[in-house]
Amino acid sequence: MDEQEIIESAKSGDRKAMSVLVKNYEKTVYNFAFKICRDPERAENTMQETFFSMVKSLHQFDGKSKLSTWLYRIVANHCLMEARKKKHEFFSMDDEDGLYENNYAADWDSIPANIVENTELKKILDEAIEKLSPEYRIVFMLRDVEGLSTEETGKITELSVPAVKSRLHRARAYLRKEINKAFQK
Amino acid sequence: MSDEKVTCKDVMSHICESLGEDLDSPRCKAIKDHLDECQDCKNYFKSVERTVDFYKKYDVELPPDAHTRLLDYLGLKDE
Repeated sequence: MDEQEIIESAKSGDRKAMSVLVKNYEKTVYNFAFKICRDPERAENTMQETFFSMVKSLHQFDGKSKLSTWLYRIVANHCLMEARKKKHEFFSMDDEDGLYENNYAADWDSIPANIVENTELKKILDEAIEKLSPEYRIVFMLRDVEGLSTEETGKITELSVPAVKSRLHRARAYLRKEINKAFQK
Repeated sequence: MSDEKVTCKDVMSHICESLGEDLDSPRCKAIKDHLDECQDCKNYFKSVERTVDFYKKYDVELPPDAHTRLLDYLGLKDE
C-alpha cells in the first residue's frame, strides 16, 4: 500500500493503518518537537498530543499538503500554546542593530564539524536556541532545518511570506551571533 | 541550508527582494559590488550556513519505550 492508501484506510477506521502512520511519522514528529521544546519530556508530550490530534482529525486532512506538513502545523500550534502559558523571557528581536556586527572577521573553520559527538557544541546550540522565542524558533526550524519552502512555512505559522523571511533573517543572525560569542570565549 | 546550489544572483535577488528593490536599481548594484569585494560578508554567509548545518545535524533518538507509551496513549497498543 502506498501512503495515500494507508491514509484512506486510516480515515475509514482501520486501526492497523492508523498505527502504521504513527510508526512512520513518530521519529519526525518527536525530532521536530524536540527541536522546538529542547526538552525530552515536553517533546514526548507534544508528540503524544500531535498524534492524538491526528487520530481525531485525520478525516479533515484533504491531501493538498504532505501529511508531514500537516503534522508540523499541529506540533507548531501545540508548542506555541505551551510557550504562551509560561512566563518566560526571550531575547527581544526588536533591536535589529543588536543582531548584526560591524565586521565578520571571525574564522569559523576552527569550530568542530562533528556535532553528533560534541557535547560542548550541543550545549552551545541548546543555550542559543533556548533564548530565541518560539515564534522565531519555529520559522527557523521549518524553513532552514526541515527544508520547507517559505510559502509552506508561512501557511503553517499563519505568517505572510515577507514576515517569514524577516523572522528567518533575524533568527539566523541571532543564532550565528550566539554561537560565535560562545566560541570566542 | 539545503544542498541546492545558490548563485550570487540568487543571493542578490533575495536581498534586493527583501529590500523591495529590483536587480537593476542603483542600490542593488551597490550591494552587488560590495558583496563581490567584501570578505566580511562572505564570512557572514559562511557562518550562517554552518549555523544552519549544526542544527540540521543535531538529531535526537526517540527515547526507549516512547513508541509503546504513544500507542498506549492513543489506544492503538494492540494494532
